[in-house]
Amino acid sequence: MEIDGNTLIFIIIILFLFFSSPGGDGVSSQYEYNQLQTLKSIYQNEFDTFKNLTSTTNFRNITGLKLSYEDVQGNPDLNATYPLKGKVYDHWFTNQTFQLLPDEVMNMINTDIWNLPYNSKNLFPPNITSTVMGSIKLHSNNKYEKINMPVPRFYEPPKDFSDNTPPWGETYVTEWPSYGELHNVTFDSGELNIQISHIDKVTRQINSNKKYKFNKEDENWKLLSLKIDFFDKAENEKHSINSLAIYDIRRGRILSMTQSAKFHSIFALPHYLNFENNDENNNDTELIFNESKQLLIDYWNASNYIDTLTMGNLEGAYDNAYFKCEFMTFLQLEPWNQYTKEQLKLVNEELNWPLGRPANLSVVPPVKITKGLLYSPDCGVLLNMENVKGPRYELKLRTIRTHLLAGVVLIATEIYLLLRQMQHTNTPSSVNKISFYCFSMMNLVDGSLATLYFIASSVIPELYLPLVISAFASFILASIFETRYLISIYASQINEQYVGVLTLLRGSTAENDEERPVVIPDEASISSSLYGRFFFMLIIFTFLILSSTSWPRQIRMIFEYSAIFILNSYWIPQIFRNAVKGIPSRRRRRRDSNTVMTRRQNKTPLLWKFIIGTTIIRALPVIYVFTYSSNVFRHHKDVRFAVLLSLWLLFQITMLYTQDILGSRWFLPRHAIPEGYSYFKAISSQHLMEHGQTSEVNTVDCSICMSEIPVYVEELPETHKVDQHSYMVTPCNHIFHTSCLENWMSYKLQCPVCRAPLPPL
Amino acid sequence: MSSKRISKELNDLRKDPITSFSAGPVGDDLFHWQASIMGPPDSPYAGGVFFLSIHFPTDYPFKPPKISFTTKIYHPNINANGNICLDILKDQWSPALTLSKVLLSICSLLTDANPDDPLVPEIAHIYKTDRSKYETTAREWTKKFAV
Repeated sequence: MEIDGNTLIFIIIILFLFFSSPGGDGVSSQYEYNQLQTLKSIYQNEFDTFKNLTSTTNFRNITGLKLSYEDVQGNPDLNATYPLKGKVYDHWFTNQTFQLLPDEVMNMINTDIWNLPYNSKNLFPPNITSTVMGSIKLHSNNKYEKINMPVPRFYEPPKDFSDNTPPWGETYVTEWPSYGELHNVTFDSGELNIQISHIDKVTRQINSNKKYKFNKEDENWKLLSLKIDFFDKAENEKHSINSLAIYDIRRGRILSMTQSAKFHSIFALPHYLNFENNDENNNDTELIFNESKQLLIDYWNASNYIDTLTMGNLEGAYDNAYFKCEFMTFLQLEPWNQYTKEQLKLVNEELNWPLGRPANLSVVPPVKITKGLLYSPDCGVLLNMENVKGPRYELKLRTIRTHLLAGVVLIATEIYLLLRQMQHTNTPSSVNKISFYCFSMMNLVDGSLATLYFIASSVIPELYLPLVISAFASFILASIFETRYLISIYASQINEQYVGVLTLLRGSTAENDEERPVVIPDEASISSSLYGRFFFMLIIFTFLILSSTSWPRQIRMIFEYSAIFILNSYWIPQIFRNAVKGIPSRRRRRRDSNTVMTRRQNKTPLLWKFIIGTTIIRALPVIYVFTYSSNVFRHHKDVRFAVLLSLWLLFQITMLYTQDILGSRWFLPRHAIPEGYSYFKAISSQHLMEHGQTSEVNTVDCSICMSEIPVYVEELPETHKVDQHSYMVTPCNHIFHTSCLENWMSYKLQCPVCRAPLPPL
Repeated sequence: MSSKRISKELNDLRKDPITSFSAGPVGDDLFHWQASIMGPPDSPYAGGVFFLSIHFPTDYPFKPPKISFTTKIYHPNINANGNICLDILKDQWSPALTLSKVLLSICSLLTDANPDDPLVPEIAHIYKTDRSKYETTAREWTKKFAV
């Protein structure tokens, strides 16, 4: 390839943009450098404080932890400046004098949620990677005081380009911005899903792909990352929280807290793992505190916490501080007591590395959070959750894989059926009776399925192979088989391009449209235009589907339901086409089928095998998604729609069947379809004379193939053994072989001799 | 079917040859023909012999044959590549037409050019504005390339 100057400059600019992106930490000015340094020094100080913390001492100067619930009770405007006058820092008790939680909430956690004792025989799964779903209820949103959490001012973006040093001091978020995340939960009950993942690997350097192992296999503690989303049923109000969490395997407890510019919760986690204040448990309390603290210190060191802070972290923390409430989440897991410790280990290993160990994975219970509570100290919101569950991630992947395989089998069956159908209609005149739009609709569905599979394969790397196979299968179906078939359908119908439906229906050219010059396109230009159309529609439809996922629920539902309904009306164009082409009833076809010619002409355009098979293959996935509440797509259950859709499909098939039995125009009033022109008729001897023949020769010349046609002449009995279907007489009284004229009529509806318009067949 | 019809046309041409042109297949290939047209006596092409190459498509006679001049000719409807602008070779094709009819049409195109639907606008312009100049050039080209 030759590269000219312009291309070279373009490439250089692209390379320049590519390589000149700011360094790993995202710092691009002196101001930002100072901001990041301040953040790092604050974190370092707080970490030093944290290291000296014991289970019996209070937090000191840690962002977000300076005030307790009791401090603000009755004094909501209290400034959170360290050290607070009269505040006790040398003790820690699990009550509201020290904690961010009001006593009431704490008791709730103690009695309702975290009520399994430490030394119980309960066993909990060591790995709980999963997405769990359930419902959430608002307990109260204005009952509890809001604790002031000031935002350090150095987080603020520069006011001036010349600013070099970020401002000092702290501000209080008094007026929440009116846009962005809501700071109040206004619905009473909604839906919740939590994405639980283990922090098994950490990076030690910015922009490094090298990962180091964390979360040792046999430990009692795991560090998790939780992504909690909850929203009302109509999805008008969405809350989304990302947080670090500690999982206490011995007691099945998960504690998570959000982190932002106003709340450095990583240092608060150990203190909130215990609410028992009993003296006899004090040893446990200390043990738990120390172990969890050690876990966090390990994490801190393993991940190089301070050195890996970037401007992105800083800006994100600042945004979260302004736009989101801080949340503390207390979750209790359901024990897996049906297993022994060894079995549990076995199951876990088998899930991670499937080798065929003697563990029955089909009975592995779901990860289930029996009870949970969300409390926001700075917004005073309390939410309850119950019965939140979901399958282990690996198990879910297995189910999806099975579903994808089933999908591939369906697609392969569809390809087979389509091939049979293509064999069935191997002549232009039989393809002519097939509806172009019927197959375009199927083509659109299969094509967008292929693109969606491709997109999914880049999103879910674990399922790359099955997704790519599915994408490939549906792509072959759509762009090779269906598009090829569409091209031949289109080519066979090109002569009808400017002919009105009524003319087609009547089979005559009563109203003479003005003649248009028709250039007969060749196959190449048809296929390029059809492929162009196919890809254009595909891109538009895929974009619509993808953008619809972010629409409000109601609009999304309307779109989904109407799209499914319309795309499942694929037999309607065929019913219409049958009516236009006027296929006679089965009885009449049988009666006429003694002549070879008519049998070829009068077979049904679509194979029944194809109709039934395609309908089942295309309806199965939709019905599955709408009737099984535990389907892999997490689609809601709506049996009514599934039944409605099945009835609609059944109606279409019934229509096709009645057209097959009674003739394709049975539902049209008789006067709307006057008897069309018949090309097959006997001719008179006078007519024969006009063709320049003497009465001895009973043939005429076909001007298409230039060979003779024996004709049936009424007055001459010796010609009566000639099949009247072997030749065609045009309205302008020109005679051709049936195959010759049919062939020509698939290009143009015009008499080859005198250019008079021809009525369609 | 197409080869049958082409050989029929060939037989007809052999039976009743037409004076103004001759045509026949090149070698054994029935689908590739060569033809030569005598310049019509009442035209500036008189005295010249123009060669054409003819390709029949496989779906002949439903698609028109592809005909082009291999001899250079100065004509408003024929360009430097020898392509001919004639409606019956394009959208007005009919399977009832035969090669001899098409070649006769080309002959009459040489006599009466159609400057209103030109392939070479410059020649058409000269044809319309300065007929004698057109005729001189056409005669010169005929002498140069077609004699």
